[in-house]
Amino acid sequence: MIALGIVALATLAANGSRQLRYSAVALLGVSLAANAMTAGQLTVTQLAVEGCGALVACGILYVAARDRTYGEDPGWRLWLATIVAAAATAACFATLRTASSETVSVPLIGEDPSGVTAQVAAFWLISSGVAILVTAQTPVRGSLGAILMITGVELLVRLLTVPQLGLSLLLGWVEVVIALAGGFLIVNERVVREN
Amino acid sequence: MLAVAACGAFALRKRLNLVGPFALIAIAAAFVLVLLSPLDTAGTILDLQLRSSGLGRLASGVILATLFLLVLDVWLDEPAYNFFPTALAVGATSLGVLVLTAPLAIFGLLVLGLLVPVGSFTFQVHRNRSVEAATRHFGFVALGGCLGIASLALAASLPHDQPANTFVLLVVVLVVAFALLLAAIPFHTHAALLAGEVPPAALALYFGVLVPTTFIAFVEILTLSGLLPAIVQVVKVQDLLHGIGLTSAVGGAFLASGAPDQRRLVVYSVISNLGAALVGIATLSGPGIIGALASVIVTGASASGQLLAAGTLERRSAPERPTARKAPLAALAFVVGGFAMIGAPPLLGFPGRFFMELIAYQFAPLTGAALVFATLLLIVGQLRAVLALFGSGVERWTLEPRPVAGIIGSVIFVALLIGGIQPDGFLRPIASFADEFLRALRPL
Repeated sequence: MIALGIVALATLAANGSRQLRYSAVALLGVSLAANAMTAGQLTVTQLAVEGCGALVACGILYVAARDRTYGEDPGWRLWLATIVAAAATAACFATLRTASSETVSVPLIGEDPSGVTAQVAAFWLISSGVAILVTAQTPVRGSLGAILMITGVELLVRLLTVPQLGLSLLLGWVEVVIALAGGFLIVNERVVREN
Repeated sequence: MLAVAACGAFALRKRLNLVGPFALIAIAAAFVLVLLSPLDTAGTILDLQLRSSGLGRLASGVILATLFLLVLDVWLDEPAYNFFPTALAVGATSLGVLVLTAPLAIFGLLVLGLLVPVGSFTFQVHRNRSVEAATRHFGFVALGGCLGIASLALAASLPHDQPANTFVLLVVVLVVAFALLLAAIPFHTHAALLAGEVPPAALALYFGVLVPTTFIAFVEILTLSGLLPAIVQVVKVQDLLHGIGLTSAVGGAFLASGAPDQRRLVVYSVISNLGAALVGIATLSGPGIIGALASVIVTGASASGQLLAAGTLERRSAPERPTARKAPLAALAFVVGGFAMIGAPPLLGFPGRFFMELIAYQFAPLTGAALVFATLLLIVGQLRAVLALFGSGVERWTLEPRPVAGIIGSVIFVALLIGGIQPDGFLRPIASFADEFLRALRPL
């Protein structure tokens, strides 16, 4: 539960920040908390792969910002994205929950073998990402939304009972390439804006 | 090999004299390896299963041949240093999509491939809106990709006692995710902006290589994910595919018939053909699947030829409107590419379109009529382009200097003509895949 709370707060921090560098740091917090939440379901190698992917992706966005002031003011979009994400998370959990329907106990600290917290976190991240991406004005918030979404997707894929190493590596690469493409667009958009 | 070559090409990208031939050699070597690899061999990489199928080999061959021609054009006629590593990376991901057997891995690799061209979409950023176009493309791919992978992951973990509505919702999300990636109408706004703002070679890479790969990936994911039996039972999903397909087929054809320039004409024609192919898939029948896949593969090749020709015509005629006077061979290549795009016999585009329209009539006469109407609108659009290019006449039929796009267009036309005269070799692997699809549809 604590990890879920950190995911939610770090997502809000990334969403509400006016500076890309702060958003990148908050994104790293989201990824670390998400990895901690499902640590028991993955091997050390898989965790390392996905952790590295998140670290590199956040590093790329941090560097792409070039200075601490650059970013996009979310304005009213922050509230819209938060309200939409909260409503969508509840709706998704009610209709799409695939975790066991039996009564589950969710521990405050430690592993949740039922996968309920991981699924709630995944729905929250994906719906927040969609809301941020759809209302983004520049690649700054576009990249932020895309990375939140892929982090949520990673959580959902971890809950599957299939061999995970190849998928972990692939999704780690997708996260890095999203950050690279987003960083490239951020740099180009800044050039256009400043000239 | 292509992925490693892409890294090498990235390091060499500013040395055009080196990186061009390097990329061509890498693609040619990959083409030979694909042709030499025996059919139905299996392997494993990092616990992901790989399989070399007939359709995979056919599509890989066409994709690599198209990439070879695109790289050749960029190297000789339209130098753009970002293009070479991008083309190799796109080739690597496309081939990966065609040999993987895990639906989630196919989707993940597809998203990687669709994100890679962002680097070659942006150019001369002060003079155009290519950054905005690339940003929109990025948003659509991220949205469609993440929603699609998430819905597949959820569908794979659904317990057996789940209500049908949950399943319908997930498949609807999956179909919409692919509609976003395929730029199907009404999710085509990024494609419209890309058509106007990005370099023609990058546009050809997207609409000639990645869009057909995405369509094949969609059909393979449906087959491999085990979703098909349930789709047959829930008619709503079939209706959704049908609706999106028809909207794209007729809407794309309407847009193509009134397109203000050659590039948009090609892009809207691709969208229309993809819509018709979705209708073919929605019939869930052998001829529909064969027609859809055959049509999409041919559409990719002919769109590449037409887009390269359109780019050459624009460059030679600038700042005036493109005309055949300035580049007659490129204009001719554009026109013959149009024949393939509308599925005119005896070119290879004909069997696919014939199968699709035939089965569409059998499925519902209105659907068949709508597809024929869409084809007529595409013919109108292509005829308008011919009139715009040749309307003022050509004084002298002398070849333009460096007629690269014209020669590439002629090569594609000859290949489609030979394929159209002997379509058996092309259609056999597609028919074999259609058998697999139908077996997955009714596993008992």
